[in-house]
Amino acid sequence: MENSPSHIGTKNWYDKYYKLILLIPIILLVLSLAYLGYFYNKTGDIMLKDSSLTGGTTITLMGNVDSAALESSLQSQFSDIAVRKLTDLRTGKPISIIIDTSAKPEVIKPEIEKFLGYKLTEENSNIEFTGPSLSKSFYNQLLLALAISFILMSITIFIIFRTFIPSLAVIFAVFGDIVMPLALIDFLGVRVSAAGIAAFLMLIGYSVDTDILLTTRALRTKGGTVNKRIYRAFKTGIFMTSTALVAVLPAFFIVSGLPDSFRQIFFILMLGLFADILNTWLTNASIIKWYCEAKKID
Amino acid sequence: MKLTWKIWLLIIVLICSGIILSPNFEKGVVIKSVEKNSTAFDQGLKTGLIIKSINGENINNFEDYTRVTNTIFPTKNKTTVKFGTSSGEIILFTNEAPRITVADIPRTKLKTGLDLSGGARALVKAENKSLSSSELEDLITITNNRLNEFGIADVSVKSVSDLSGNNFMQVEVAGATSADLNDLISKQGKFEAKIGNKTVFTGGEEDITYVARTGAESGVYSCGEYQGEQVCSFRFAITLSQKAAEAQASVTKNLSTDPSEPEYLSQKLDLYLDDSLVDSLSISRDLKGRVTTQISIQGSGKGATKQEAYDDALSNMKKLQTVLITGSLPYKLEIVKIDTISPVLGKEFTKNIIILGLVVFIFISIMLFIKYRRIKVTLAVILTLFSEAVITLAIAALIKWNLDAPGIAGIIAGMGTGVDDQIVILDEASFDDKSSLKEKIKNAFFVILSAFSLVVVAMIPLFWAGAGMLKGFALTTIIGVSVGILITRPAFADIVKRIIKE
Repeated sequence: MENSPSHIGTKNWYDKYYKLILLIPIILLVLSLAYLGYFYNKTGDIMLKDSSLTGGTTITLMGNVDSAALESSLQSQFSDIAVRKLTDLRTGKPISIIIDTSAKPEVIKPEIEKFLGYKLTEENSNIEFTGPSLSKSFYNQLLLALAISFILMSITIFIIFRTFIPSLAVIFAVFGDIVMPLALIDFLGVRVSAAGIAAFLMLIGYSVDTDILLTTRALRTKGGTVNKRIYRAFKTGIFMTSTALVAVLPAFFIVSGLPDSFRQIFFILMLGLFADILNTWLTNASIIKWYCEAKKID
Repeated sequence: MKLTWKIWLLIIVLICSGIILSPNFEKGVVIKSVEKNSTAFDQGLKTGLIIKSINGENINNFEDYTRVTNTIFPTKNKTTVKFGTSSGEIILFTNEAPRITVADIPRTKLKTGLDLSGGARALVKAENKSLSSSELEDLITITNNRLNEFGIADVSVKSVSDLSGNNFMQVEVAGATSADLNDLISKQGKFEAKIGNKTVFTGGEEDITYVARTGAESGVYSCGEYQGEQVCSFRFAITLSQKAAEAQASVTKNLSTDPSEPEYLSQKLDLYLDDSLVDSLSISRDLKGRVTTQISIQGSGKGATKQEAYDDALSNMKKLQTVLITGSLPYKLEIVKIDTISPVLGKEFTKNIIILGLVVFIFISIMLFIKYRRIKVTLAVILTLFSEAVITLAIAALIKWNLDAPGIAGIIAGMGTGVDDQIVILDEASFDDKSSLKEKIKNAFFVILSAFSLVVVAMIPLFWAGAGMLKGFALTTIIGVSVGILITRPAFADIVKRIIKE
């Protein structure tokens, strides 16, 4: 199983172009960073935040409500209002709509009730409110947590591998795993919730195992050529990432009616896993191969 | 067939987890709270006790309990009611339903968070003041007392702090609405009884030893129309402590009599709730400088109709009584975050998460089978994954952790890394190179241990960031990967060794 004939062809091709391959993720990373910079300039922050991070109210209404009409009727009084609709993917039936605004629940609730013509009760709605003073520190702290996680992760990687370049390659790959999904999320206009930022932290742990596998196999395992070892790691790693994707994908495409916080965690993990395929097998693998060639490791 | 100790360990832990998670089919209702100073409390009905029968009639669930108590109460004359409970028979002699709240006995020991079970949660801090941890402890005690006085069940009040060292109080109430919570927490700041500008007493056990809440000494006593509105008045008696009574005497001693109303003293006893005047009580001339411990407190409520005025007066009275009993806070409270989750939506979420879990299991099984083409290997991976999820849930139940949606996302994400680790073990073990099987497993564990430590360090900051709101996610993820590394992975490695040797 391990000595597939295609592998011989791969080897020559890979030896020739691996440094060029490295350019692909680097270009993507630069594009992502540039977009984040542009986004920061435009909005004053690195992401759009939902009411759990900006302060304000999120109201979830169950059932079939005309979200467009509701949004336009509320727009005049609440300029920052955002109405989203959750639809069951299989049946196409609306499940619920989610209203985000910086207004307090006491203010927005009567207006929604006026539009709907019935009272909002605990049977038909969720109401979440975060005060602006809390949310500001909440957001800053989550970003701080993300930074601390990243630093702790970097230190741990250095302790594990004890060699500079390969450790740096892993850290660089994880950095890409966070930056690329973030840029994409900004591009898509997703409002990130507190749980969403937690998902970015999770990404650190989630995406790093394939990098460790690659580095371990390339540097620590004996036997075979470097290419062969990288290829073996690739075969295992790509399967790992695919099963991890299989664990997160059904949350969007098969099972509907999940809590919003839950869906966002899975969405960010999914983007991160796709980014991880690039960053592990194009970035990290190329750097490791380069390193092995320079150090004359067989 | 000999099993290694690692596999035995997994089996034993799994059985224990099964026992912890096993559903409970006991019949009856469990007491969630008992109002203090009530007949029920005095006769020994306690929180956590299970009521199995009332007057010989079996109580299987909450519906039975309400049906039976509704047929007995209210009665004009006091009657004997026998409660069959989990710790023997308790007899009440009363004419009103016991002041307790009950609920169905939970079927599992797993607790779900607010976002899955429904209810309200508030994060509270002191207005314009940062609380020290001892102040926060006092606040929590007082809040707990107040919620108990109101007979609200299923409350959790705890302190949380964030990365910048701010302390908050977090209150969670299952099944309550945000309006209830708002009312309970933020609108009951402080109580002060003043004469002139001198505070004579505040609430709490130190100042007030008894507050009458039933009988002739307490209630709404008159209603009438005043300036086009219905107004009802209430009154209830309180007993001041000797110290508070002396403090009052020392102030009244210096007062003269009111020239316009000579039977009263020149200044009144003003009652303030949250800095707003509730009532001014005229003080009788006879009380000048006298130490009196018995005082009658009065107040009123109003509304468009007589019924509304009556209800308003009753709720004002209850609020005042609660504050007097539990003591007042030296500062105002501010709610910084409040969420209400519909129990209906919560149920829907739980159902869908279970479906999601099953779908994920099926998909992973299919993928594993396609890759390894062996039922035994696929089963080994899936069973290990399943045990991991079960053990993680059991630990959550054991430490009474409330599983919320991010927490469950953590478990599912943990399963993702779990399956990854097992693939590493399988692939590593099935290489045909010169190193021994033991060596290969060791290599696999190097990768697994590294990945494990990285997940843990990545999650640690979440324990404090943002007042620990995402602690659930961090905790279940860490429990999940720890169960993996300590119990299921080693056992899985041994299982793989067996399969490969075959």
